[in-house]
Amino acid sequence: MSVSFRPDAAAKLAGAAQYGTDLAAPGMLWGALVGAPVAHGRLRAVDLAPARALPGVVAVGSAELDALIPGGGRDADRPLFAVREIAYRNQPVAAVAAPTLAAARRAAAAVRVEVEGAPAVVDLETIFPEWPGSGAAGSPHVIAHVRARHGDVAAELRRAEHVVEETYRTPSVHQVALEPHACLATVGDGIWHVATSTQSPFGVREDVSSLLGIPEASIVVEGTWVGGGFGGKGSSLLEPFALLLARAAGRPVRLALDYRSEFELGRTTLPSVIRLTTGVTDGAIVARRVRLLLDVGSSLPGRDFATGYSIGFLLGPYRTPAFEVEGYGIRTNKPPFGPHRAPFAPQCVFAVESHLNEVARVAGLDPVEFKARHLWKEDDATPLGQRVLAFGLPAALEHARAVARRWRAEAAPGEGVGIGLGFWSTSTGAGGEVRLLLTPEAVTVEQGEREIGSGSVLRGLAAVAERALGLPADRIRIAYADTARAPFDSGVYGSRTTGALGRAILEAAESLQATLAKRIAGEGPVTLVVRDGELVVARAGRSSPVRELLRPDEVERGIVAAGRHYGRGGSIDEARVVDGTFYPYTDFTGAAHVAWVAVDPETGAVRVRRYAAFHDAGTVIDPATARAQIEGGIAMGLGIALTEEAIWSEDGRLTNPHLLDYRIPTLGEVPIPEVTFVEGFPGAGPFGAKGLGEPPIIPVPATVAAAVREASGAHVTELPLTPERVARALKLL
Amino acid sequence: MTAAPATLRVNGATVALTPVPDDERLLDTLRWRLGLLGTKEGCRTGDCGACTVLVDGRSTLACLTLTHEIPGTEVLTIEAAGVDPDLERARAAFARASALQCGYCTPGFVLALTGMLKERGRDAPADELLDALQGNLCRCTGYAAIARAVAALRAEAP
Repeated sequence: MSVSFRPDAAAKLAGAAQYGTDLAAPGMLWGALVGAPVAHGRLRAVDLAPARALPGVVAVGSAELDALIPGGGRDADRPLFAVREIAYRNQPVAAVAAPTLAAARRAAAAVRVEVEGAPAVVDLETIFPEWPGSGAAGSPHVIAHVRARHGDVAAELRRAEHVVEETYRTPSVHQVALEPHACLATVGDGIWHVATSTQSPFGVREDVSSLLGIPEASIVVEGTWVGGGFGGKGSSLLEPFALLLARAAGRPVRLALDYRSEFELGRTTLPSVIRLTTGVTDGAIVARRVRLLLDVGSSLPGRDFATGYSIGFLLGPYRTPAFEVEGYGIRTNKPPFGPHRAPFAPQCVFAVESHLNEVARVAGLDPVEFKARHLWKEDDATPLGQRVLAFGLPAALEHARAVARRWRAEAAPGEGVGIGLGFWSTSTGAGGEVRLLLTPEAVTVEQGEREIGSGSVLRGLAAVAERALGLPADRIRIAYADTARAPFDSGVYGSRTTGALGRAILEAAESLQATLAKRIAGEGPVTLVVRDGELVVARAGRSSPVRELLRPDEVERGIVAAGRHYGRGGSIDEARVVDGTFYPYTDFTGAAHVAWVAVDPETGAVRVRRYAAFHDAGTVIDPATARAQIEGGIAMGLGIALTEEAIWSEDGRLTNPHLLDYRIPTLGEVPIPEVTFVEGFPGAGPFGAKGLGEPPIIPVPATVAAAVREASGAHVTELPLTPERVARALKLL
Repeated sequence: MTAAPATLRVNGATVALTPVPDDERLLDTLRWRLGLLGTKEGCRTGDCGACTVLVDGRSTLACLTLTHEIPGTEVLTIEAAGVDPDLERARAAFARASALQCGYCTPGFVLALTGMLKERGRDAPADELLDALQGNLCRCTGYAAIARAVAALRAEAP
């Protein structure tokens, strides 16, 4: 077979890669969940007897928990099964397992669930028809409230030459990993073992421990190949239920979602309403006020991450002397809010970018020039008082402007070229650890993550190890081990994997070199080289094969060196925080995108003809993998921009849980983008790398909206930009 | 629901299936009876293309095909190694262009492309072949690398 730069290509092209949906074991049962038939109400009774009467069926519900996990599963804040109150439609009330999938479905349908339905709380603007005042923080619907301020916004807005206030709306969007959630659980000999398709084996272990009330030491999580994550597989979903069923059955249990349930039960981005107010005097922004209503579904009180983290992306990346920001996390009868690639940032950036285009128009200024003048520069302070460092966005914007000028000269009537700017930060999560194993043949990176497709594990970590140790790619191996054997890592999310685990690899490489320095005489740095097919340690003219340096206890595994990386960089001025938690940026990642679109003047349909992306990714350590991330992120962003919208009915039912009516971009709808890296702005990762999993999706909806406006004059303030919304903005409807 | 015996040729080998219920889908026959898990299950409603296989050389959605309706046919899946030159060309093109990330849609894309090579011929223009892949969804690559794989097909030795 032809050679791929991806080490996983051969297995995936032979059909040999085992995903979560491929899991099976001898004697296993097939599981199914029993969901609440209403989105809100009281659960009167759950009768498992009719299901148990069917041959070979095992059924568990709240009543069985005490026998299966004494004292566990009863956390009032995180009930495994709905107990009294039903929080969302399809919320699990019981789980069953049977010898076949069809039998499991019949058993699930046989469970008698009695409920007393109540009106569902679904729509943000029904809850708060008027914009909530600060008093709303006491509302039972508000589970998170964040607020920060700097300067006197009210006074600045009163004095401003122009004040523009607008409201933006964004819908629920789903990750749509093509592989639905799936796992296989086995319980025996005091070990609760679950194999699962996950972005975070250790995160699943922690979740299972907390949800079932069993110690982490008794739980083993084994990752499979992951058929797409995009944030949707970052924490546990099915694993606790599969484990309970396996415990009850005394046999392995496989539990997987069908695709409809994937839509209905997945943890997704939920709707928002964003109100932005900006004051301008003499062409300069004098004040901004940002208010956010974020639907967090049935998320738990105190979980303000969604509002606190997201809202950070409504604050930049523009100099603003006075600002005020307030966000509410609103509880509704939908599943809990979950992360979707760059959680909520594409939506925030769509609102901010589109709004500032409108502000510039009102003030009689060129929008891009207006933004360029306000863009954060090195050493500026963010609205929360964090110093801006190594920010390549201004440089990226200059490239984007040059492309936009060329494309505008070629665009036909009815076509337009727009620019959008996005920024992000590499997250470090709770950090992570690796081990390097040096043998006579290779260096193995032993770690706890499976490749989710982005390449951050199999290529990102390998590229760091190659560079740190000066070895060619065929001498670096990435090994995966389950949570019982691997060093800890917090998960493949937040654009953190290559950054955080890469830093751990650098530390381990230093430790390895220090160990080798003690075993080979001489002065100066120790290097590894390949000579006559084997690894050799060299130092100042001397050299020794690795095999001669191994101690007897190292013959099997090799010389072991460990490295770790915890913590995040950056700090904010806490005096500006009034309520809730705001987060500093670990580093400053930026991208400027350009879209060339055609808008049908009769239908409002948008076609993207060309697309260009300029990314500050710090030091690019693996260009082919980095480019692939950007190409894929843009396509996903085009979905948010143009077609993707999960629609919830008034009674809390998802009305379009199918790929036919929740439309993701298809091959003919995505142009091949032109991708350019803007280097010279080092980030927090190894060798100055910045995370790149999430940034490419962020500017896309804003960029497309800017192009649509230029093409047609349509100023659309609600995502996605469907033909209907564009036509309405053009007063065609 | 009746159960009738069926015989298929799968990846060049004859397999006897006894009995096959009327409502059993080819996808489940391949994955759970024959253990050929390389054919992927996505939506099961014919929208994503992840389960695309060839039946008598034609691109077919295994999730919407009832096994008992295709007795005696020749089924080709991603596991076939060295039995079909078009499949090897398509596979090599995807490898060289690294036209995959998570890999879940990949078997479906490779088989759909194989079917097109058979239907339109190896000298069919790249844009015509690419157009024929519109029924397959990919969430990771943005289709850019897939387009490069198809564009480079001619360079692949059979």
